[in-house]
Amino acid sequence: MELIATLVCGGAAVAAALLVILSRNTVHSALWMVANCLVLAVLFLLLNSQFIAVLQVIVYAGAIMMFIIYAIMMLNLRVSDDEGDVRKSLFTGRFAVLCLFFLSLLILGVGLSPMAVKGDMFPLAVSTIGEVNLIANYIFLQGLCPFELVSVLLTAAVVGAVYLARKD
Amino acid sequence: MTDYQSIYLALSAILFAIGVLGVIVRKDAIVVFLCIEIMLGAVNLAFVTFARANQSAEGLFMVMCIMAVAGAEAAVGLAIFVLLYRKTGTINIDKFNLLKY
Repeated sequence: MELIATLVCGGAAVAAALLVILSRNTVHSALWMVANCLVLAVLFLLLNSQFIAVLQVIVYAGAIMMFIIYAIMMLNLRVSDDEGDVRKSLFTGRFAVLCLFFLSLLILGVGLSPMAVKGDMFPLAVSTIGEVNLIANYIFLQGLCPFELVSVLLTAAVVGAVYLARKD
Repeated sequence: MTDYQSIYLALSAILFAIGVLGVIVRKDAIVVFLCIEIMLGAVNLAFVTFARANQSAEGLFMVMCIMAVAGAEAAVGLAIFVLLYRKTGTINIDKFNLLKY
């Protein structure tokens, strides 16, 4: 049952990603990207990480994609101005992508090798303490410095975006 | 629980390759941006898979950091697109060669 759900969601994710590339209309690309984000959230649920799935829906599908759709609306693009047929030019970059695909399949090899390191998120702790609790413990004990750096980065990005987009 | 982690990792590799293909092939800056987001999603999937296999919170923390960085990137990138569109009337990335020597 879980295998069937995984395969269906994986196929849907790949199909949505391909449709992002193949759509002539930029808005259609963005909407297929929303579909891709939602399917990824289902895959995170199948991996038993509910918190990341909720974040994926709220942050990616909810905030970032709506932001991109607003930007497309401001630019008033209907059909992307790609010259030539995208489906034909798909074959120009195929060798580089094929190499990269096999390179990233290396991840598969790493994943199949046995892993000795086990952290503190074993199933019993997740069911008694809770997943969000454990992640929060990690953030505020070990990951505090990167966490604060991310907040500085977000502030800098917002200030930079406002500075760039204002009328002068 | 995750007996199928090789499926998830293969899916992550496929999605990453699709994202790279889109960055190489498409000329529309917004679609290129969307393809970068596809790649980030693929990497997130690999991180969550490894975090589950390793039973550690580090991968999940990395995913949260990647989401925040993607948000920052979207804010700055789209502001730059709007600015370029105001200046030149197009966002075809082949038309921008201002920095070309």
